[in-house]
Amino acid sequence: MAGDVQAIWLTGLLALVTTLLLMPLATPLAWWLARSPSRAKSAIEAVVAMPLVLPPTVLGFYLLVMLNPDTFLGGLWVRATGQALTFSFSGLVIASMIYSLPFMVQPLHSAFRAVPESVMEAAATLGASPRDQFMNVGIPLARRGFLTGAVLTFAHTVGEFGVVLMMGGNIPGETRVLSIAIYEHVETLNYDAAHSLALGLLCFAFLSLWLVYRFAGERVEVIRG
Amino acid sequence: MSHRLMIDGQLERADFVLKLTLDIDMSLPVGLMGATGAGKTTLLRVLAGLEPCFHGRITFCDEIWSDTTRAPARFIPAHQRSVGVAFQDSRLLPARTVRGNLVFAMHRAREGGLTLAFDDVVKGLYLADLLEQPTESLSGGERQRVALARALLSRPRLLLLDEPLSANDIERRLAMLAQLETWLSSETVSVLYVSHAQEELRRLTHQMIMMDRGAVRSQGATDALLTEAMKLDDPSQDQSAGEEATVVATDADQLSVILQRAAGAALTDQSGLVPGDRVLIRRVTADTSRRDLPLQPQPEQDESQTE
Repeated sequence: MAGDVQAIWLTGLLALVTTLLLMPLATPLAWWLARSPSRAKSAIEAVVAMPLVLPPTVLGFYLLVMLNPDTFLGGLWVRATGQALTFSFSGLVIASMIYSLPFMVQPLHSAFRAVPESVMEAAATLGASPRDQFMNVGIPLARRGFLTGAVLTFAHTVGEFGVVLMMGGNIPGETRVLSIAIYEHVETLNYDAAHSLALGLLCFAFLSLWLVYRFAGERVEVIRG
Repeated sequence: MSHRLMIDGQLERADFVLKLTLDIDMSLPVGLMGATGAGKTTLLRVLAGLEPCFHGRITFCDEIWSDTTRAPARFIPAHQRSVGVAFQDSRLLPARTVRGNLVFAMHRAREGGLTLAFDDVVKGLYLADLLEQPTESLSGGERQRVALARALLSRPRLLLLDEPLSANDIERRLAMLAQLETWLSSETVSVLYVSHAQEELRRLTHQMIMMDRGAVRSQGATDALLTEAMKLDDPSQDQSAGEEATVVATDADQLSVILQRAAGAALTDQSGLVPGDRVLIRRVTADTSRRDLPLQPQPEQDESQTE
């Protein structure tokens, strides 16, 4: 039971850190995707959306290969922190950020796309630089996109399983998140414990989606600007 | 300081080519007139820096805004041009109040342009009661006034006004026209004023530009050009043969009058008029080269040209 509480806490922490780190990274990316006329855009969009269609085990496998201490990136991390990225909480954060990237980028992308070009032009003629337009016109108009992106990223990270299993393993207090705990309970035929965790996750998933539809589901009327 | 505006170049669109050759002194407000589709709004967009595909050269006050004739090409983006635009479609910032829109402009106000006080602009454009309202709840005329106020408060050196008063009722239009006359003549700002309303152009501008099918057709003194345009537009109508009528009563502001037609005919003759209809009565002055047209109802310029 104490182990389950620890798993809940760890899962919440992982989802929170992932959401907070992903938001400032995904925002400029989504803005660029929404406004740039660049031809490279479709390729970038495809890369961002890949975690949606890839089996999490594939993603986890590549991350395990790329981030282990023998590689350049993994070695750099070991030298900087004295810890390996694989089978650690920090490694899970990186993996979750990649795994949940489309869930943050896509709501922001559609929110930014709904900001009319005419309004950005008006802001430009009032002396707003492109960066100023992004910060003070684009972002305030995309509030619902931020709410949707944050809730979906958080919920999706909470439900992560395959990636964690591949590159995090099952270390209590470090990488043993809820979905792993449920898996372990089922493996050891401890169905009661599995039930209570699974039901909790079920309710949580419903609540987060309800939150999205209740408060961010209405289409923002920015077209009238 | 010189207020010379020079444009020489063109903008190609899929269905439209704008060819511009213009050299004009902007130290006094300049009017811009032309049929719908003549390229007036596109000309404003080129000047504002919103058309990066414009090919050619633009200089204003000896400053090069755009020059693709030499390498490396030069293009000053919109936010660095010190241009204020009151768009025809208002383009207010959504999710902000009226005050929020005005403050946005004031925080980014430029140097060396128009300097008007916030309170004066708000009062002069009847915005005092609207300040805390979200822009989504405004009517068309209100939106126009906010857009105009916002452009004025951004302290531009060049003010581009695209039919800034057209959606307001006649009473307000006259008052705001007087207000603009004061503001724009007492300040060091260049103005390009697009309008179909000849009265507005006569009062505000001294020179004007006529555009037709993507090019500047003529340029000259406002009075002369408007008189000529009227002849061109209405060759059949002899303006001096206006119908005589006697004023029976006027309201306090002299904005509406009750007329008794000379012949004493009822308002249901072959003209098809019934009481309540708004009619256009032309006031014919002794000097026929200076005709003051009423403000409305007014035929759209484009309609009369396509006839």
